Amino acid sequence: MTDDVPATVRPRAIAISSWTSLKVLLRADAAVQMRNKRSIVLSSALPLIQLYALFAVKRSTLFGDPRLRVALCITLGVITLGVLGYSMAVARDREHGVFQRLRVTPAPTWTIMCSRLAVQVAAMLVMAIVVLVAAYAIGGVALSLGGYVLTLVAVLLGAGVFLSIGQAVAGLIRSADTLNATGRFILLPLIGLSLFGHSDVLGTTVEYISRWSPGGAFSSLLAGAMNPSTWSGETWAAFLASLAYTAVFAGAGIRWFRWTAR
Amino acid sequence: MSYGSTVAVDSVDLEVWAGEIFGLLGPNGAGKTSALSAIEGLLRPDAGSIMVGDVDARSHPLEAKAQMGVQLQSTSFHADLTILEIVRLYAGLYGVKLSESQLRERLSGIHLQDEGSKRFRELSGGQQQRLSLMISTIHDPPLALLDEPTAGLDPQSRRQLWDRIEGFRKEGHSILLTTHSMEEAQAVCDRVAIMDHGKILAVDTPAALITLHRDDPRVRKVAHGDVTLEDVFIGLTGRELRD
Repeated sequence: MTDDVPATVRPRAIAISSWTSLKVLLRADAAVQMRNKRSIVLSSALPLIQLYALFAVKRSTLFGDPRLRVALCITLGVITLGVLGYSMAVARDREHGVFQRLRVTPAPTWTIMCSRLAVQVAAMLVMAIVVLVAAYAIGGVALSLGGYVLTLVAVLLGAGVFLSIGQAVAGLIRSADTLNATGRFILLPLIGLSLFGHSDVLGTTVEYISRWSPGGAFSSLLAGAMNPSTWSGETWAAFLASLAYTAVFAGAGIRWFRWTAR
Repeated sequence: MSYGSTVAVDSVDLEVWAGEIFGLLGPNGAGKTSALSAIEGLLRPDAGSIMVGDVDARSHPLEAKAQMGVQLQSTSFHADLTILEIVRLYAGLYGVKLSESQLRERLSGIHLQDEGSKRFRELSGGQQQRLSLMISTIHDPPLALLDEPTAGLDPQSRRQLWDRIEGFRKEGHSILLTTHSMEEAQAVCDRVAIMDHGKILAVDTPAALITLHRDDPRVRKVAHGDVTLEDVFIGLTGRELRD
């Protein structure tokens, strides 16, 4: 049976550093991402199909200059990965109790979420590079070295905008099934608005709303980043709008996020 | 600890000793899982203190978590990782460095040496529980918290898991487990606490509880022949159904 001794006699285990936790989690989350090949292909396939359409159709100039059209394709990929891909993965793992299992380990909770976000950001960067290569191959769109670097930096900011929207959606909706349906519902206006921010085919009011929607602001920012010589006051405004969207949605996502589905 | 206006755990005072298996018993909704969740750091108590050894779990949660091994009631691991990757992940989170051969040795120890490349969902219930217990104790923690570890297992798997839990105790570890099985509590627990409506009703060894409550009219009323731990449990917590 037992000795009446409080449980303090074993050598004390030490909690590992946050950095080590992050490294271990990143390795696991990256393995999950790499294994999900269908998701990787789909995240690049959609922007590539749009890219082909925007360069192949006769009236494609309605959507602006070639760089803007490439920006729209990258925007589509970032929106899909951030709003649907990320929030769905979070909701599914939350429903299955994966987060709770991780939270009882000595890993700080911020490392659990940051590791997932970092993997999504990497996926967005890969998608953007694939689209840029395809844009050169299909539409002959070439950027300066500075343009390529700035574009990838802008993708990082866009990742902030749409991952924070994904986080807010996952925070507000707990059920994975409801989130799946709602995510698709949110995706349509986000993508639709980003398409018409630089075209008045639906009227100037829609154009104005589109331009300052999260997708519209991000595609303006991307278009400016692709051609740094055209960077203007409006590009700065798009940059600030993107920062503001990130702050608001990240705040909501953190405030309302729950680790359990119940 | 409360959820809105509902008090889930109220003034619970428990001590688990070194090298003992302590069972927390109670009907559904009694507050067992909430009490365990507070110790695990998943829920924040409104008041009180939680010490794991000499570590204050409320002010040093990460250090306290390093002293504990936890098996949750409904455990799930990353669906897309293999068993080997899952073990490597959790070993890493507890700072345990395992070589490939050591990893396989651990799996061999729970008879899962051929399942390393499978996904968690592909394992049987018994295999999942064995893996889950192994992962919970991979860092050799002083205290293991097991929430209904044998729920849903067949008798063979349940007995095997009892052996593992008892083996863990023999190595000097403490175990706090919850269970609905009075047979399990009587077979493996050194001491048990009966809990209901968030409060502890009784704490002692199973044999002492039976002796102490043998003549309690509430217990006599529900007993069929010799008084068992289940009779004491039903007598103290009542016969009405809980959801």
